[in-house]
Amino acid sequence: MPEELVRMEHIKKFFGRVQALNDVSLSVYKNEIVGLLGDNGAGKSTLIKILSGALRANSGEIFMHGSKVNIRDTTDAMNYGIETIYQDSALVTQLSIARNLFLGREPVRGARFLDRLDQSTMNNVARKLLKQVGITKDIPPTTPVSALSGGERQAVAIARAMYFESELIILDEPTNNLGVHETQGVLRFVRGARDSGHSCILIAHNIYHVFQVVDRIIVMRRGKIVADDIDPKKTTIETVERIITGMMTIA
Amino acid sequence: MLQKLVSKPEFGPLVLLVLEIAVFTAWSPAFISPGNISNLLAFTPELGMITLGMTLLMTAGEFDLSVGSVFGFAPIIMWTFYNAHLASLEVGFLVAMALSAIIGYFNGWMVTQLKIPSFLVTLGMLLVVRGTALYITDGFPQQTWTSNSILMKIIVGEFPVGDLKIYASLLWFVLFSVILGYVLTESKAGNWIQAAGGNEQAARARGVRVRLTKIALFMLTALISGYAGITSSIRVSAANPNSGTGYELEVIAMVVIGGTALTGGRGTIIGTVIGVLILRLMRNGIVLVGVPGLAYNIFIGGIILGMMALHSWLERRHHSGV
Repeated sequence: MPEELVRMEHIKKFFGRVQALNDVSLSVYKNEIVGLLGDNGAGKSTLIKILSGALRANSGEIFMHGSKVNIRDTTDAMNYGIETIYQDSALVTQLSIARNLFLGREPVRGARFLDRLDQSTMNNVARKLLKQVGITKDIPPTTPVSALSGGERQAVAIARAMYFESELIILDEPTNNLGVHETQGVLRFVRGARDSGHSCILIAHNIYHVFQVVDRIIVMRRGKIVADDIDPKKTTIETVERIITGMMTIA
Repeated sequence: MLQKLVSKPEFGPLVLLVLEIAVFTAWSPAFISPGNISNLLAFTPELGMITLGMTLLMTAGEFDLSVGSVFGFAPIIMWTFYNAHLASLEVGFLVAMALSAIIGYFNGWMVTQLKIPSFLVTLGMLLVVRGTALYITDGFPQQTWTSNSILMKIIVGEFPVGDLKIYASLLWFVLFSVILGYVLTESKAGNWIQAAGGNEQAARARGVRVRLTKIALFMLTALISGYAGITSSIRVSAANPNSGTGYELEVIAMVVIGGTALTGGRGTIIGTVIGVLILRLMRNGIVLVGVPGLAYNIFIGGIILGMMALHSWLERRHHSGV
């Protein structure tokens, strides 16, 4: 039996009178890549935002390693080892690659009151990480993010998640706006993350991308989970599409 | 090497400053006389201090229109306390600084908590603070030759250096520039300041305490404006409730000319110091070369427009090049 990493139980979320999440429960195991699918408005993003601390649920509980946790904001989520990569990367484009990588968790050297950034460490780590996530071009870590392409930016966000040894990496539409080559890079990373001991939740519109990398597929529809144990090796894309659109239900 | 220098945001302003000095010196030798330089160095630090705080605040994506009012208000508080025998000058100074900090805190609180644009909040504060200064004093200046406290010597005591007459305020200005330049580019706080102005959402998602950062910067800006006002009141021997009127726009112009982005995310203290010199030397120089003083604003406005054009040109070139 694989070890459970995170479990969300009976999550409910209302926006005014609209119920976005209706009693949603799901688990993610260690070293597992889960694909979260669903049509627009199915509640995927809301669910993910609750897990990453960007939104708070009206009711329900979250467990990490079997013990209950209270995720009040994004800092809490990061401290529990949950890292989220959004489609627009959420980087500060004016800042350099290295400064973005360490934003919010900057290493400091020297006397405490001097509050001095350890820029040499930041740049060295950044250089290594960029290689790891597959940027082979020699981009200096002091380059502002505004000078990078969409794929390179996504790589920076991914490098950040890797460096801080997040146990769970959530990728929300990471391949949107990316070219073919860059998309392959991101998918390769997702596979690599499992090998290096991370778990991932991958949200993508493109079912083909999801099928290529995930171990298990969860489908949401109208604020509910309608299927949570689809094995992409034993199921066809057509079947999953029909579950997403509600033309077929799993008994 | 040269390429690197040219791509720095401070490069444009620096060229302008050098050009300006060259033109004025060639035109009027009096421009570099010890008397004129002493004169320039007397007032420049006072306005300059405000620009330092404003640079950090604008880098964080906010600005403060109430700085000129606080510049007038803080010395009024200090001298009113002293002249009314309510407190010693030192205590009066601390009270004035504390009130400045509270004004800054209130600005920051309104902007970050109530999410009102800083333009509106600080415009309101400008009127409240100026009005208070006028009301307290009935519109009359306060005497400041009534004390000979050592504090006055520390803040703005004068001493000769060769033919030049230097005020201690110049040293404070240099010290503040070095400290705040360090904070902006070398410290962790500086990274937060730039991130807060660059992409507030992203910064918050990374755990940067954007609210705290902004409130602290509003307080810093108000404190340094109050301090500059006190410096000025001691040097000119009068605390006028109207002093500092209109400074807010000149300060913002100096900061922007220096290369700090009006939209936040990017700022430079070195650039700001250059920007301060550009506008101060311009005011001084065009009078020396015989341009009517009333035409001064034409030149200031022209320079601001010119610098903005240069900026947008450099920016476009920078982006298309990558």
